Parts: sequence; C-alpha cells; structure tokens
Amino acid sequence: MTPALIPMLLLTLLLIASDGADTGTARLVLSGEHQLDDTRETVIVGDAAVTIPDDAVVTAPIYVIGGTTRITGAVDARVTQIAGTLVVDGDAEVDQLRVIGGSRRVASTADIGRRTSADPAPRTQTPLRSVVPLAVAAGALALIGARLERTRRRNLDNIAGAVSRHPVVTATVGLLLVITALSLLLFMAFTLVLIPVSLLGLTVGIAVTALGIIGWGHRLGQRLPLQQPRAATAAGVVAVTVLLQVVGAVPVVGDLVVGFVLLSGLGAVVVTYLGFTGFQPAPLPD
Amino acid sequence: MDVTGLSGGPAHRRLRLLELVAQHQWVPIAGYGFYVALLTAGYYYNLTFVQLGLVDLGTNRLGMPGRDVSLVMALLAVVALTVSVAAGVVMDRRGWSRDLRLKLRLLTVVTAVQLILTVVAPQLGTPAGFTAWVVVCAATIGVGMPVTFSFMADLIPIRDRGFAAAVPAGLAFFVASLYPQQWRIEEFSAVMAIAMTPAVVVLAALAFRPSRLVDRLARQQTRLGPGRFTRPPALTASTAAFALAVAALFAVFFIDSLGFLRIIDTPAYISTSWQSPDIGVRLFIAVAHVVGAAIAGVLYTTFDWRWLLVWVYGLFGFTHLLYMFDLATAADAAPPLLLPGMYVLAVAFYTTLNFALWPDLSTHDTIGTRCAVGVGVAGWLASFLSTSLALASDAAGVTLLTHLRYVDALALLLLLVTPLLLFAGRVRTLARQEAP
Repeated sequence: MTPALIPMLLLTLLLIASDGADTGTARLVLSGEHQLDDTRETVIVGDAAVTIPDDAVVTAPIYVIGGTTRITGAVDARVTQIAGTLVVDGDAEVDQLRVIGGSRRVASTADIGRRTSADPAPRTQTPLRSVVPLAVAAGALALIGARLERTRRRNLDNIAGAVSRHPVVTATVGLLLVITALSLLLFMAFTLVLIPVSLLGLTVGIAVTALGIIGWGHRLGQRLPLQQPRAATAAGVVAVTVLLQVVGAVPVVGDLVVGFVLLSGLGAVVVTYLGFTGFQPAPLPD
Repeated sequence: MDVTGLSGGPAHRRLRLLELVAQHQWVPIAGYGFYVALLTAGYYYNLTFVQLGLVDLGTNRLGMPGRDVSLVMALLAVVALTVSVAAGVVMDRRGWSRDLRLKLRLLTVVTAVQLILTVVAPQLGTPAGFTAWVVVCAATIGVGMPVTFSFMADLIPIRDRGFAAAVPAGLAFFVASLYPQQWRIEEFSAVMAIAMTPAVVVLAALAFRPSRLVDRLARQQTRLGPGRFTRPPALTASTAAFALAVAALFAVFFIDSLGFLRIIDTPAYISTSWQSPDIGVRLFIAVAHVVGAAIAGVLYTTFDWRWLLVWVYGLFGFTHLLYMFDLATAADAAPPLLLPGMYVLAVAFYTTLNFALWPDLSTHDTIGTRCAVGVGVAGWLASFLSTSLALASDAAGVTLLTHLRYVDALALLLLLVTPLLLFAGRVRTLARQEAP
C-alpha cells in the first residue's frame, strides 16, 4: 500500500459513512488480482486489479480508489470511482455510476442506469495544465515562508538548522512518525467515530510537512545571493518545491531523495517543537 | 537535488567508523567486524535453532505434546537465566570482564559445544535426550550471553553503539526471515555446522595463540572507556535506574511474548506473514526489520534512552490493538501486512535497545553482571513466565480474544505509566535543582 493511498482511503471511508453503507464489513482489496462473483459487503479497490466477470451479479457498492477495476458482468448497486482506472465492457450492467475522479473507459453499449459526475469534463493533459498546480503550491508556500521570515524568523532558523545539521536524525524521526501516524490515522478511520479526528490529524500532518519544506527553503534561501531575507526565503521555497517536482520525476532515486527531504523537514519541525527551540542531540561522552 | 550541498559544513555527528576508515585504522575496524559478525551469528542461531528448531524437534519429530514442549522451553529459559547471572557475577568478581583474551577463550568453548549440539540435534530420539540437550544448550547460552554482550564495551566507541547494535539486530532477523523457508532440521543442522566449523577454528586461533591483533584490540578498552550512561554528561546509570530499565524491558518482553505466543498458534496470522509461501511478503518483513533497527539505532544515539522505551511501549501497545481489532472485525479476509509490519518495527526497537543499553549502563567492572541480569531477566525470565501463563490460560480454556484483551489492558497500562514516570522523574530533577 502506498502512503498516498491512505488519505484517499480516509476520504472514502468518510464518503461510505455518509452514503449510509456499513464500513464495518467493508472489504479492502489492496493488492493482487481478484475476481468478484457475488459479494454482499462494500468493496474498496486499492492498488489491485479487480474483475467482475461475465456471469457475476454483485449487489454491494464498489468504491474504486486505485488500481484497475473491470466490469463485464452486472453490478446491482452503485459504483463510485474516486481514482484509479475503471473499465466497463459492452455487455456490462451497472445500476448507478458516480464519477469523482480517475480515468475510465466505458463502452457505449454498456447498460448504465443512472450516471452522476462530479468530475470536470475530461481533461487533456497540456504542459501548461500540469504546471499550474505546482505554481500555485510553490507560490502559496513562498508567501507563507516570506511571512514567517518576518514574524517568526527564529522558528524558521531553528527548523533550517535542524535539517541542515542533522539531516539523518530528522529524516529518521520523520520516517518513524509517518509510519506510525499513518497507521494510527487509518486505524482510527475504521472506527468511523474517529474519522473527523483522523482527517484533522491528516491536515496537521500536511501542514507540518509544508512547514518542513519552508524550512528547507529558508536554508536554501540563505545561500542565495539575495539581500532581502524575505525574498531569499520565498525564492528558496520556490526553488525547493520546483526541485522536488523535477527530482521526483526520476524513478526510484528521485522518490528516495524527495522522501528524504520531506521526511527530514517533517522530523525537523517536530524535534524543534515547531521551531521554538533549537535541536540538541543527547550529549555523548568522547 | 544535491542534499549534501545544502546541509553545509560537516555533519554534526558522523560515525566514528567513517573516520577510522578514512584514517586507515584497520585494527579497530576489525573490532567492529568481529562484534557485528559475532552478534549477528549468535542471535541468528538463537532465533532459528533455539526458538524455531526446538519446538519443531519436540512436537513433530519426537511427538511430544505441545504442553511438554513448552515446559522444556521454560526450563531452557530458567537454566539460561541462572547460568548467565552466575557467569556474569563470576566474570566481574574475577576481573574476567576486562580480559578480552579470556572472554575469547570462553566464547571459543561455548561455540565449540554449540557446534557439537548442532550436529547431534537431528539424532535425538527420546524426550529425555531432548531435555538433556536443552539443558546443555541453555548452559552454553547462559555463559555466552554476558561474554558476547560485553564485547560492545571492548570494541565499539560510544558514539557508534546505536549503529553497532542496529546492524546485528537488523541483519539477524533479515536473514532469519528469508532462510530457512521450510524447516528441516537435518538440512539446517548441516548448513549451520558447515558455517560454524571455520568460526570455531578462527576463534580458537585468536584466543589460544599469541596474536598481535587481540593484544591491540585489548588495549582499546581504556580508550573506549565505560558505558555512555556511567559518566558525564549523561550520568544516569545508578542502580535504581538500572533496576528500572530491567523492570521496564521485562514488562515489554513479558507482554510481547504473552500476546504473541497465542498469536503464533493462530495459523491465519502466521501463514500470511512469517511463514508465508510468498517470498515478497517475507522480503517485506525482512526489510522492515532492517528499517526498524536503523531507526532505533539513530534514535538511541540521538535521544535519551528512556524515550526509546516509550516508543517500544507505544509500538507494542499499538500493534496489540491492531491485532485485537483485526480479530474482532475481520472475518476471513487476509490480515493486512500492516500488522506484522508494526510488530516487526517494535521487535527491532526492542532488540536494538537490548544490545546497546546494557553495556552502556555498565562500567568495565559491572558489565558481566548487568548484561546477564538485563538480558536474563528482561528476556529469559519474561519468556519463562509468559510461557507458563499462556499455557495456564490455554489449559483454563481462555479464548484467544479474551486472552489478548488482558494483554492489551496490560500494554495500555504500561503505555500510560511510562510517560508519567518520565515526567515525574523530570519534575523531581527540577525540584532538586531548585533546592539549595
């Protein structure tokens, strides 16, 4: 299971709960190839390949959040696609199809009862379109960074100091926190009552990671030949965001580098208590 | 992106090992190699032959009832504990703890006896023979434990101890998760014998013949000094602190084995994780061991060890909750890999802490006793008591779910108590500073 799937899963559980379906018996298909013949429990398709064969009649709702789902038979319930790929073949019957995101190929002869779509018209990927979200993210982080540089410079200095002087320690702390926190959040979401808490936790996690990126940007900004400290931090944040995007495109190594930078930023924010104090490792005798 | 270019200046706390490599100081580096190889091999032997192999030998080959096998395992724990404490005390009293060459000789004898035991194991035919075998094996483990654990103080500089503890903790479990896939005692005994024979020869050559390498390694001891917590700036190794550490790790291990003794009997959990036919699953578990040990090693060096203890409690408590939740809700679906993954993380923390903490809480004159008591009480006594209790609860017809509920309650209680104690300790320190 990829970490990126967890937030999606949290949102899906929230959606299932609001649909009135029972998450307690929900079946989570996270990997491998599966065939659904007749299932009565709600199915969530993660990074798996799921097929509903020709002669099958599924009576439980299906939520697609990743992987590939291929419907050849009949689904006498609602199919919700949030992400991933959905293939509906010509002879298939689907009672309701709700589309929120992801990519799909629906045969024109397929029998679909009711179709709702929250997804904007199918997009064509142009270079400009893929740059816009990045630019927005970089711009927003740069603005926050510049503001923090003015109001909370000590905090940023402490975070930047921790990432640059103790990259391994901060990345390790970050890794441990991410592993345990994500498991904990997921676990809480399955209790249903705690879904709001786990969404809140996820939001806090994203905010802390963003602060970590700003910390890296602040550090990089100090190295840039810019006189104005606020401009330097803003430029550093933009540079880090763009570099992360570029490096992330490289397979394997890129993911590792991006992971390292994000985790050490997150760890630095935590070990410096949001930057309110500098990080000092435990003293060691020589 | 050039990460190192951004970090600026030399890393604050680089491994001493890297400096030694840069300075071509091969003797201390050989010491690292020896320590890591010894602990990895020793722990691997313990994980496979002692924990997996004996149960299999007793149940499947000798046809003993599960209850009897558990009793024999409990006997193993008691003998190992008694012998190791006795050995540790003698080592400290006679000053053997300081004597690297003497410890090498003890180790050679222990390894040689274990080699013979390994070769003999497939020939065992009666429960009585099996019990005798286990007693001898426990005695060798008992002597071997304080000897091997105390090598940390002779060979590894303070700064690298977290790292040096993490490598064997990760490696031993890594190899044990991948090999043996299928347990066949004849094959395994042959492989181990082939691997152990050269080890015994090398050890004997080092221990009983004059060797400049051993002389130079023995001289390192004064330079490396006593444990990290026995001197400023982090003087926390009072007898009370040691007792607290023993009690704390005893509790962790007790709860862990109490819970998992029953889980391991549940095929749905074990066949989808540790004994999965899918190599990918086993590889995941093996890698998780290494990652967990690495995290624990870094944290051990950077933070106060008591924080690591809180993490150990937290991870074990959380893992128990996960299993409990899965038992209560999931009907027949395969349990997610998250469960063994979290468990492995907790075990890696626990093991790394055990390797590093006892030597660091001792001086050269207390290391034998403290390692023996630490590992003996926190490891062997805990496993003895929990085996007995799990057997009793099984005999009393307690269901898995009820049993785990008690374990969970204990785990949560400790999870609550540990941070409170830490906090209270800090309050006491501050209050003392206030007083004139």
